[in-house]
Amino acid sequence: MTALLEARGLVKEFPGVRALGGVNLSLREGTIHALLGENGAGKSTLVKILTGVYQPDSGELVLSGTPRRFHSPTEAARAGIGVVHQERNVVPAFTVAENIMLQDPPRRAGVIDRDRQRRVAAKALSTLGVDIDLDARVGDLSVAQVQLVEIAKALAFDTRVLLLDEPTASLTGSEADKLFEVLKRLRHQGNAIVFVSHKLEEVFALCDTVTVLRDGSSVLESASLADYSQRQIVDLMVGRELAERTVRHRTVDRSTTPVLALENLSTALGHRNITMDVYPGEVHGLYGLVGAGRSELVRCLLGLDRVTGGRVLLDGEPRKIANMGEALSRYRIGYVTENRKEEGLFLELPVRHNVSVTVWRRLARAIRGVPKKAENDVTSRYVRQLDIKATSNEQLAGTLSGGNQQKVSLAKWLAVDPQLLIIDEPTVGVDVRTKGDFHDLILDLADQGVAIVLISSDLPEMVSLADRVSVLSNYRLVGTIDNSKDYPTMSRRIMDAIHETVHVRA
Amino acid sequence: MKAWWERIPLRGSDLTLTLIFVGAFFLLAVTSGGSLLTPRVLLSIIIYLAVPILIGLAQMVVLSVGQMNLAIGAMGGATSGLMAVLMASYGFPVWAALLSGLVFSALLGALNGLLVKLTRLNGFIVTLATMTILLGVQYRLVRSFTVDQYPDWLKNFGQRTVVGIPYMFLVAIATSLVVGWYFARTVAGRRLLASGGNPLAARLSGVSNDASIFQAHLISGILVGIAALVTIASAPGINRSIGGDWLLPSFAAAIIGGVSLSGGGVAVYGTVMAACVLRLVDVARAQFSLDPSWVNFVIGAVVLFTVTVSEWRNRRAVARPMSVEVPA
Repeated sequence: MTALLEARGLVKEFPGVRALGGVNLSLREGTIHALLGENGAGKSTLVKILTGVYQPDSGELVLSGTPRRFHSPTEAARAGIGVVHQERNVVPAFTVAENIMLQDPPRRAGVIDRDRQRRVAAKALSTLGVDIDLDARVGDLSVAQVQLVEIAKALAFDTRVLLLDEPTASLTGSEADKLFEVLKRLRHQGNAIVFVSHKLEEVFALCDTVTVLRDGSSVLESASLADYSQRQIVDLMVGRELAERTVRHRTVDRSTTPVLALENLSTALGHRNITMDVYPGEVHGLYGLVGAGRSELVRCLLGLDRVTGGRVLLDGEPRKIANMGEALSRYRIGYVTENRKEEGLFLELPVRHNVSVTVWRRLARAIRGVPKKAENDVTSRYVRQLDIKATSNEQLAGTLSGGNQQKVSLAKWLAVDPQLLIIDEPTVGVDVRTKGDFHDLILDLADQGVAIVLISSDLPEMVSLADRVSVLSNYRLVGTIDNSKDYPTMSRRIMDAIHETVHVRA
Repeated sequence: MKAWWERIPLRGSDLTLTLIFVGAFFLLAVTSGGSLLTPRVLLSIIIYLAVPILIGLAQMVVLSVGQMNLAIGAMGGATSGLMAVLMASYGFPVWAALLSGLVFSALLGALNGLLVKLTRLNGFIVTLATMTILLGVQYRLVRSFTVDQYPDWLKNFGQRTVVGIPYMFLVAIATSLVVGWYFARTVAGRRLLASGGNPLAARLSGVSNDASIFQAHLISGILVGIAALVTIASAPGINRSIGGDWLLPSFAAAIIGGVSLSGGGVAVYGTVMAACVLRLVDVARAQFSLDPSWVNFVIGAVVLFTVTVSEWRNRRAVARPMSVEVPA
């Protein structure tokens, strides 16, 4: 039996990152195919190549036996490939009907044929079996309704291949069930469906075949899902390469006052009743899937978004941090951001400025301003300590390698001698060796008594570094787990904590 | 299916603006002791409405893709200057001169769009630069003279009426209707709004955001061309001050009319209505011999107020969906 859609040896590189390195995928008619992998494994990139958003650097797509190349999303849609991307993909000011037909509005001489637009959109919605007002503005709909509109949008054309990237992330249990019924019906009609999800229960209940991606390669290709257990799939997803590293067992004195304590914290972004504490010298992990609200929690903590309930205690005293400047100068809290390029570095400025920016106020002298020598002293100290590979303190930060950039953004926080350091995804996009250096560095800092909140989507990294792991799911704290540093049991417990809540919601 | 009157795309702010206009008009009519209602005064109010409406629309179109056009006044000045000089110095027949001007203005808009696309710079800086260049072009064309050696019938054309309504006003209204139809009904217009409303979604749906930005600047150029046409048909002559006072009113009409600075929406009726209200401010100044600086002060303050309020409302609207996603 030939495949309806086949991808062979897909390679896609972005500047500095190999997002896909030779991925194969084979979709047959009348099946639901699970596409699994950790955050950053390349699932969304693959979906975007299959739907013409990106063009692969090499490899080919074969649709019903014919090699095809899609130069735009519209071409893919016209060829019968529909998609629901992970990102919200609607125009809020447009009506439901307009959004459903956005790819290729029915027209007569350049003028939109509104009647036909409503008719086709209505048909797509009725395929889904949902009732949404075609003339409502999408901006006025609930998140779940918007999600359904997006699925209807993917079905609006004569769709034979439907790709769904995390379609249930914002659906309630009953809405998700309804979606699954639709997907089963579409499968019965002979369509091929690709289902990307982090929720393994869903995947096992729904899917027939599976492809697992890890670091941009397919580690399991179009296998029958029935041959695998959830355990085996998780192991394939996360890999074991880091488990072989020697783990440092540490003990943290938790009889002292925590540096940071949250009591029943609620925020304007949607967190409810978050309670956690971080002790001096502790590495406290914050784990969760994309969209669980980890970075958002930190933003609220630092005054970038509003806290609406509960208390924040710093050194045992209830405090309200107004902004980043206050966090820095009054409470000595450093925040190493995830987007170091956008948020963490001044790419056009020399290393010297990048490191000393946080202590300018301390270094400044009346009239003379900030002496260059003082800046250089601070900078040189951390360049040495972190082993930053720069030609001199004057090298522009933008010309450093990714790993060294990350070290510079860490150095500027070390310069303030922080008592609490929040580190967001420290090793995304850095090579394995730098990653190891970073891990040693984080643990060394903790040994010196710095309290560390570590946000990471990399589960092996989390298990090898954290002393305790707080797990967030959908803006709720679903558990704080003492880290045994034994990877199989820890990954299991963390995944269980996440999936349990998914289950409860269903 | 909604009833037809529910489908008229009128928004709350449109209604408010209409009420403000009607109220202000009556207030002016009463306080002026009825002199506002004489045909001659009424006619002058309406004739000089055409340019504010057209430049408001020209600004609205670029705002709808999240861009802006600072060169509107300079484009209008250079275009009307070109039309006048072609007739006065080069003996172009009226139709040829006006057509050349229209094409010239459209090309200027296209140039803005092309520069934004090629340089990847913000439209603000690109149009700031073209504005400065065009001010030079305008001066080069008319120097410090008033060019008026072209047929008198053209200068007086703006005063002419059909069933009591000035032609120029009809041109502005017809243009507004076409612009409104373009954004509501054509594929190109909807794509433009999709780009402005959510560039990522637009791209994933196969809409070229670059094309949208180019198109917006091009249409803006055409609308400025029409405004220049109206100007040359209602002014006694063209000098270098033409267009000098277009920039703020163009933003004021669009923004007070309800167009968001972040793009994604148009408000044709609102822009027209806001231009009418702004015109009344001008009329009031003339009526009561107020200092012109007060008019600028009032318009500036109103723009600032409107933008602040709409930004504030946007932020609230953005904050809301999140709480829906996470049931308590």
